[in-house]
Amino acid sequence: MEMNSLYDSLSLIAPELIISVTLLVIVLFDLIFKNNKKMLPFLSTVGLAVALITQAGNLTDGGFAFSPENTPLFYGMLTIDSFGAFFKILVLAASMLIIYFSSTTDEVNESFDRLGEYYTLIFGMVLGMMFMISASDLILIYLSVELLSLSSYVLAGFSKNKTRNNEAALKYLLFGAFSSGLMLFGISLIYGMVGSTNLTALNNFLQTGSINLFTITISLILVFAGIGYKISSAPFHFWTPDVYEGAPISITAFLSVASKAAGFALLIRFIRVGFVSYVDSEGFWKLSEVFDWQLLLVIIAILTMTLGNFSALWQDNLKRMLAYSSIAHAGYMLLGLAVMSDQGVLAVLVYFFIYAIMNIGAFFIVMLIANRIGSENIDDYDGLGFKAPLLGVSLGIFLVSLTGIPPTAGFIGKLYLFIALVDANMIAVAVIALLNTVVSLYYYIRVLKHMYLVKPSTEPPVIKPSFNNLIFVLILAVPTIIFGIYFTPILDFAKQCVQFFGV
Amino acid sequence: MLTEFGKIFVFLIFAMLFVAISIFIARLIRPTRPTKEKLKIYECGEEAMGTPWIKFNIRFYVVALIFLIFDVEVVLLFPWAITYKDYGIYGFLVGIIFLVVLAIGMAYEWRKGDLEWARPKPNIPDLSKILKKKIAQPETIEPSADN
Repeated sequence: MEMNSLYDSLSLIAPELIISVTLLVIVLFDLIFKNNKKMLPFLSTVGLAVALITQAGNLTDGGFAFSPENTPLFYGMLTIDSFGAFFKILVLAASMLIIYFSSTTDEVNESFDRLGEYYTLIFGMVLGMMFMISASDLILIYLSVELLSLSSYVLAGFSKNKTRNNEAALKYLLFGAFSSGLMLFGISLIYGMVGSTNLTALNNFLQTGSINLFTITISLILVFAGIGYKISSAPFHFWTPDVYEGAPISITAFLSVASKAAGFALLIRFIRVGFVSYVDSEGFWKLSEVFDWQLLLVIIAILTMTLGNFSALWQDNLKRMLAYSSIAHAGYMLLGLAVMSDQGVLAVLVYFFIYAIMNIGAFFIVMLIANRIGSENIDDYDGLGFKAPLLGVSLGIFLVSLTGIPPTAGFIGKLYLFIALVDANMIAVAVIALLNTVVSLYYYIRVLKHMYLVKPSTEPPVIKPSFNNLIFVLILAVPTIIFGIYFTPILDFAKQCVQFFGV
Repeated sequence: MLTEFGKIFVFLIFAMLFVAISIFIARLIRPTRPTKEKLKIYECGEEAMGTPWIKFNIRFYVVALIFLIFDVEVVLLFPWAITYKDYGIYGFLVGIIFLVVLAIGMAYEWRKGDLEWARPKPNIPDLSKILKKKIAQPETIEPSADN
């Protein structure tokens, strides 16, 4: 590679470089000041904030980074565009919230001498996600998925003296290793056919080359298995409840928001760059006729949300319930992608933005309550609503928003999703999604019933969160309401970002 | 003319021949005094047959990790050392950055005490006492970690 082009590429990945440097700084800081763990969250937040500001400044930048020698420029390993910028901003902002979240979680702070590793590994995850979001080369896709996975395996088993925690980490590792093996097999099949690992090359091949339909179907299903595992879509979702229940709650929240966002960005880019032959005047994508992505995604999406919602009905542990609920939400968002249009992707972006806020909020309150009463069981929530009014009301807001009832932000997310579905004449699918929403109402509202209507058998403890924690709850709860009424800013921001560079 | 895979095939043949010939020559000139231990399969000093649920010494992993750092280093530094001059100062800096990251990994291991082979002796509990205790009051099932 020419040194000049390498230098240009480096300026395109400035946020990633900042994250990498911060990672090293945290490791060194932890080695030098062994007993000063108070500074670690602060350092991490500063690093993430600088990366976030850099990324927000480069919102409209576009380019291909790291094109291998002797290939056209658009065969870059990374594609930098505003679609990627949206997801990177989402991931960075979510990580900042999670850093504060972690610093107040008892489960994490118990292991004092390993805190340095905790924040380092979080940065490993962030780095993996950011590369995953812009990767446009199969090798880099695999590499970044592995970077993300390896860090999250360790974090899922972070509080290692709990049996449940070890179980979570081991299950996560076994499922992850298997599905990444499947994905690698699919990638090798694609490489065998196309002769290149680049997604643009794949697209060119599909439009001109002679194609063995059977091989390409097998290889795409295998690649989808790897990505489907990351976004926990059925039938690759079996690890989700156990891992989400066993992992420290801050990591659970992180996995359910940021890791899933990166997986979706990867899936959208994979389909958009690799398979769309042209986009018609109304923004609908015309796919190369080798593989029916729409059919696959609709089936998977319906399966995912139905399984998620119906399994959540039986859960008494709130972490586990939220895990199934996050599976169901992955199903809704897959529907947005299945529309195969710019409008559908817009709906996914809006949905993700809102989902991140309300899901982190719900997990944060479950954590605050678990810190005090040491349980996430729904029976221990009896009568809590009156003892901790602000937490109760905020949890109510988040849960109502997760259901998608106006005037909360969750309603706006679902609204745009359904509009996109109806515009594409997918009425039957929209009706199934709507019925699923009704089912989800039961298990979200059941928590509120326990908090406000069930008479507690013993006097519930008074929960007084600290001032900082209250502010944090308000930072998440107020937007959940405001964006339900005044949602133009999110919409404009997302509209600006549905742009893929070079396709 | 050999294709690229043909060259690999030649490599493969040579590798197999090398092993076969060296074993054959060794057989000709070595004395033969087999014992039970010598006839066993060699597996780094571990018992080769039996249940896999045995405890390994944790130091094996530490040594493996430390080895990995230097192994990866060498694999990447050889090609770098040959070509970095073609790329001027940038080529040099790329290698230096790589070495700095590796050095941080090394510093991490050092600071965390993984380079010290002789660790303080663990306080080994008296096995017979524990057994007696267990027979007297069998262990109840651990409550789940929920609480």
